Amino acid sequence: MPAIRHASKRKAPPAGFSDIEDDLLVFSNKMKDAENASSDNVPRHQVLWPIFQISHQRSRYVYDLYYEKEAISKELYDWLLKNGYADAMLIAKWKKTGYEKLCCLKCVQTKETNFNSTCICRVPKAQMKEDQVVECVSCGCRGCASSD
Amino acid sequence: MLKSTHKSVAPPPLPEGWTEHKAPTGHSYYYNAATKQSTYTRPNPPPAASILQSTPFDPSQSFLQYQTIGSPKPSAGVTSDRFPLQSHLQGRGAFHGQKAGRGGHYGSRNTRAQPTDKPISRHPIPGCEPWVLVHTKLGRRFVYNSQKDESFWRIPDKLKEGILALDQLRIKEKAKAQQIPTEPTPATIAPSAIDQLDKAGRGDEKIGDGELDSSEYEEVEVTDDEGEDDENPPKRQRTGDDAQDEQSEPVEFNEDDIAYQLAAMGEEYGLDPGEYDDGNMDEWKEGVGGLELTEEDSIALFKDLLNDSGVNPYSPWEKIVEEGKLVDDTRYTTLTTMKARKETWDEWSRDKIKQLRALRAKEEKKDPRIPYLTFLQNHATPKLYWPEFKRKFKKEPEMRDSSLADKDREKFYREHISRLKLPQSSLKADLIALLQAQPLSALNNATIASHLPPAVLSDIRYISLASDTRDMVIESHIQSLPPPPGSTEEEDSEEAAKARMDKLRRQKALEDRERKVAEEKRRQQRHLEFGKGRLREEEAEIARAMNVTKKGLRDHLVEADSTEKATENPHDG
Repeated sequence: MPAIRHASKRKAPPAGFSDIEDDLLVFSNKMKDAENASSDNVPRHQVLWPIFQISHQRSRYVYDLYYEKEAISKELYDWLLKNGYADAMLIAKWKKTGYEKLCCLKCVQTKETNFNSTCICRVPKAQMKEDQVVECVSCGCRGCASSD
Repeated sequence: MLKSTHKSVAPPPLPEGWTEHKAPTGHSYYYNAATKQSTYTRPNPPPAASILQSTPFDPSQSFLQYQTIGSPKPSAGVTSDRFPLQSHLQGRGAFHGQKAGRGGHYGSRNTRAQPTDKPISRHPIPGCEPWVLVHTKLGRRFVYNSQKDESFWRIPDKLKEGILALDQLRIKEKAKAQQIPTEPTPATIAPSAIDQLDKAGRGDEKIGDGELDSSEYEEVEVTDDEGEDDENPPKRQRTGDDAQDEQSEPVEFNEDDIAYQLAAMGEEYGLDPGEYDDGNMDEWKEGVGGLELTEEDSIALFKDLLNDSGVNPYSPWEKIVEEGKLVDDTRYTTLTTMKARKETWDEWSRDKIKQLRALRAKEEKKDPRIPYLTFLQNHATPKLYWPEFKRKFKKEPEMRDSSLADKDREKFYREHISRLKLPQSSLKADLIALLQAQPLSALNNATIASHLPPAVLSDIRYISLASDTRDMVIESHIQSLPPPPGSTEEEDSEEAAKARMDKLRRQKALEDRERKVAEEKRRQQRHLEFGKGRLREEEAEIARAMNVTKKGLRDHLVEADSTEKATENPHDG
């Protein structure tokens, strides 16, 4: 039997967590709603879109707080990553040139596609045909090229 | 409409004094100028012949409402509409039955429209006070004088201006509400559609084309029986005569035309787009309306709004937008694009967070020992051992606070209990020693007894004495201290005052801008009126010119004749 972890015994989160606690709670509530939403009448490939989108939003939130606004400490940022509040792998991509807006990791997995290409959402708007609206199959992204 | 059926049977002559007119709906009605009587039933009708004669409806005639003044009252409630044959009706009914929306009235008017039509909205016409413009359920409209209790389908000339303004207002509102593309002018559709209807009417109920929907009755073009001589007019019915007629009449300009004309005139006069309303305000260049808010000011105003609304700088921007707290404020509009707002938000939140952190670093860290020690002073007794005390108060927040280790709690408890056994005098001496150890900047004669420095509060010697004796000791000690060394607060207050002044100035600028905008609007309105006046003059001129060129001199020669006719066929003159 695994050890039972009590809330009182758990180590407190690093300082500054209380500032962002409410907003993270909003995200986790949204995520719960998305998880519990009925998937009837939703096309099979679209079922996971909201999950991907909320997870992206939350990761972006944490990323912005640490890298853009410098609002949270390194300690807290690491703690957030460790506790699954943000996707470290996705954030790692955002730091690379050309991937600043990447929607999800699935969309850059070239090995999973027929022609070893990235997802359609990676194509810059400028190179698309006029008025072509796309929603990528994996996460419903409408375009995440850096130039958009 | 239905020219074949229409023409085939000649209308029986009317009795003396009666004239035939067409309502905007297309009904024929009859008016006796002598008795001022109007009726839908043909006076003195001959037995059977007239059934087909009255054209059931011809929306195209409706433009006539702008032609003559003093047409008789519309009596929409009259039930005795002498509508065509029953079989005919069935066909039409089926044909129109499929349609909904705006065109719906067309069909329903055909079947049993009259009794169901009723006014749905009325708008006072600006500038012509007792008059109101009434829209009916079926999309028609008439003017009504509430003082004289008169109403006319045909809008008198003096009211046109007001109604135009009203229309413009309405269309602008509509456009503002949602960017609807202006409805296609049905001028080109209408004739063919009417033709189709012709065939449909004669044939049976299997026509599916619903193009007629788009023809709002006021915009449908003229199909005038006097103008056409042949029985089967070509697809395009604008024969020479007809077009001529149309041009000679004061055409109703729609809003696009007016806007276009105004823009053209404005450019001609070298006006700024701000001085006439070209409809798309957001395309105006900055400063067109005489604004004095600079870019920085608007950003600062938006930041003020953020400051005042008390939003959490840590929140994501999407959440702020979703909450919709900011939208109601006028300062929200100082920035026009969402992108600019987001950028400002980012900047503001970054600064704010930095400020908050600085503030937090500045203020002394709340020592977790302080609440625990106060708790000890209130609850600890020598009668309880530490494990007993711990068990008894395990639910208290001071005992559960994770920032203070359990070991430390125990240590403090034991020390406190052992000190309680010491004599009062040594405790008092200890306390005074503690107070004397504090630097003058932390503890001086300006210090309030309830706001002691944390270094004092977090010391075990502070809680050893009973609170009333302790307070007396502390107060006497504070009074014996010299005043505090010079503080730096003045600078702070100066800075704050400057910031406040800046804020006030920006607020004032915003108010100024709003006032300016209102003034500008009034001026535009005046310009618009002026432009409209000019436009109308020019229009009339053009109309006169067209008259001469198309009809030639004959028109002038038979002028007397035409005026005579005007009572019968007002749209011909």
